[in-house]
Amino acid sequence: MRTKCTFSGSGGQGSALLAKLVCQGAIKQGLKVVMTQTYGIEQRGGDSTGYVIVSDNFIGNPLVENDADISVALSPSIYDGCVDGAVEGGIVLVNSSLITEMREREGVKQVPISASDMAVELGSVKCANIVMLGAALAATNMLEFETVEQVLRETLGAKKPALLEMNLNALERGRTVYASAAE
Amino acid sequence: MQELAKIYGDTLLLDKKFNYCPGCGHGVVTRLVAEAIEELGIRQRTVSVVGIGCGGFSHHYMDIDAIEAMHGRSPAVAIGYKTASPDKIVYTYQGDGDCSAIGLAELLHGANRGLPVTCFMINNNLFGMTGGQMSPATLENQVTATTPKGRDVHVHGYPLRVPEMMADMVGAKYVAREAVCDAKSIRKAAKSVRNALQCQIQGLGFSFVEFIVPCPTGLKLSVPDAYKWSREKMVEYFKPQVFKNEVGQNNEN
Amino acid sequence: MKSETLFLKNTQTFAEAMVRCGVRYHFAYPITPATEVMKHTAVILPEYGGRMVQMESELAVANALAGCACTGTLGATSTSGPGMALMQESISFMAAGELPCIMLDAMRVGPGDGDIVGAQSNYFQATRGGGHGDYRVIVLAPASGQEIVDLMPDAVKLAYTYRTPVLFVIDGVTCTMTESAIFPEAHDYAAGFDTSSWAYTGTADHEKRFLLTGSYTHSQGEEMNERLRAKFERIKEKEQRWESIQTEDAEVVLVGFGIHGRMGQDLVANMRAQGKKVGLIRPITLWPFPDKAFEQLPESLKSVLVVEMNHGQMLDDVRLAVNGRVPVHFLGKTGGDMPLCTLADMTAQINTLL
Ligand code: SF4
Repeated sequence: MRTKCTFSGSGGQGSALLAKLVCQGAIKQGLKVVMTQTYGIEQRGGDSTGYVIVSDNFIGNPLVENDADISVALSPSIYDGCVDGAVEGGIVLVNSSLITEMREREGVKQVPISASDMAVELGSVKCANIVMLGAALAATNMLEFETVEQVLRETLGAKKPALLEMNLNALERGRTVYASAAE
Repeated sequence: MQELAKIYGDTLLLDKKFNYCPGCGHGVVTRLVAEAIEELGIRQRTVSVVGIGCGGFSHHYMDIDAIEAMHGRSPAVAIGYKTASPDKIVYTYQGDGDCSAIGLAELLHGANRGLPVTCFMINNNLFGMTGGQMSPATLENQVTATTPKGRDVHVHGYPLRVPEMMADMVGAKYVAREAVCDAKSIRKAAKSVRNALQCQIQGLGFSFVEFIVPCPTGLKLSVPDAYKWSREKMVEYFKPQVFKNEVGQNNEN
Repeated sequence: MKSETLFLKNTQTFAEAMVRCGVRYHFAYPITPATEVMKHTAVILPEYGGRMVQMESELAVANALAGCACTGTLGATSTSGPGMALMQESISFMAAGELPCIMLDAMRVGPGDGDIVGAQSNYFQATRGGGHGDYRVIVLAPASGQEIVDLMPDAVKLAYTYRTPVLFVIDGVTCTMTESAIFPEAHDYAAGFDTSSWAYTGTADHEKRFLLTGSYTHSQGEEMNERLRAKFERIKEKEQRWESIQTEDAEVVLVGFGIHGRMGQDLVANMRAQGKKVGLIRPITLWPFPDKAFEQLPESLKSVLVVEMNHGQMLDDVRLAVNGRVPVHFLGKTGGDMPLCTLADMTAQINTLL
């Protein structure tokens, strides 16, 4: 099985971290994984997108070529790109806290999730990306939920117990909310 | 030859026929370098990186390993060598064209880096091997093969003084200019060669000696006139002096 | 270092792989996208008793590398096209002087200063060389992080066996991609080679020797060239490497190196699943070019498609190898936000040829 992901947001929203956590989870499960980033001169500021492919066999084509199975759109500026970059039958998770105007695209399922608001409730707007990660795991079966929990524990570790707690809650929140939002 | 080796030691290869023109200043400097190597007892761990030009022959008269580098790049080659083999003594032997025209960047950055390597720049103020063209050290109004009406400084710039640029570099620990025009200046030059190599042996940092030498062939002068020209014209603009000496005790300069 | 799986940018993988295989000195000058290599070696080389040395220019880099190689010690450098251009002088020098080293060209868009986005713009520069005279260096083109790791021991062995620079060329997209690679236990492959017969280490244990790439007589220049030619012939005969997939009954064969070769693996699988007879030849050595892969082309073959991240460079070598037996078509692209041909582009092109 092969899952192609697009994690997109504006500076500081943690889309790159989101991509990295998925990669670490994939490695933990012994899967093949490739991560590429948006090309261009700009190194800082503006939007950033992490493309990840998770697969159980060798990944020949490392590109996500407008065929993402799952996309996370964290901010309005990259929303169009996520919708257009989805494969037929793909899913786009939309951060409806910030993206207020959605447009239809036939064959692509868009799921609004107010990730930023939920993140604030959970303690910090910064964990909106983790809410989305929980939702993305629920929307696909690319990784075991527990694997990602484990990755979070290892990355945040004992050093930042409060932060870990919040992020684990965010992950869980994303998972549960996906089911109801996807109705 | 065996007899001579007893007097001169093993470094100088006395049976090797000189390729230098009669009266060439390279002959003197090459011998000074060989004698210093012999005296310091470093022959077997010394490697010479020579430039392109007449100075490229210098290693042939010594029983040491050598690398003939691309034009101007000897200091960079020496740095790579010294990085991998810090216990070896590495010196470059380059002309003024090799050093201060095409290889100035490598030389100055080498000096500034401060790795203990030694660069000898033999300044005969023109390109000798290729037939006496202007070099950065050619004097104002001096006639050469490429400055038939004399060096026009408004077109070709001014004669370039190299060690002056290094004097301020922290990494350079021994910086001198010597002349090889008469017995007295040769004795002083011999000391500078020893100091420069000593600087490297002690691991202090970069060392550099420029030698003002005559090239009778390139200057199209008789040997005595070439020496006179060097002594009078060159030394007036390129003043021999020790710019910096951190080699410490036992130096006589 | 024990065997382990690491998830790294491929530039970092390159750094890890070369250090784990015996490179102790890395000379470099910052240039996108190769800079990541020196950032990484600056951290890890001291742990191996080595050092990354940042030089003032690529001219100095390549000459310092030559100096390091003169001691018999394995050194390396990493750069991109504009830096490669400056290194040509010394690459020719090292080829002539038979000095072993490892080099990486993390290829970006050219010509001139070009763009920092990935490309395969330096096939000519790598395989023909812009340096002086008749010389060749071995050019390796891995297509993934894992292949960088797998080829590195061979690269070191080739460098010492043939006493030659070995140049890796990897497009910048692959370089900046992050993926996992399994590293075997670290092993200093350079240490296994005795360099005492040629290294310029001082006359304590040998007669005076000197490295000369010039000549004092005209016959010396000729002799050097004859000696090198014989060596290049040996390398050509023995060291061609490539991967062929399902070429035996193919109607169209795709030829691509690096990332396009890698994508070709998916392409062949997809097309075969649809019953379309497509095969792949992926050159791994660009010099020597794997002519042998083209010796036995199947009767069924209608045409060959070369795909590159440039406007047709390896294309020349494929045409020479195919030698007019079937038409050779080309698909290429360089620069832009998507600086390579997508799988969709390649698939569409192949469909027109079937
Ligand atoms: S050309 Fe000049 S520098 Fe060269 S050997 Fe003759 S005199 Fe010496």
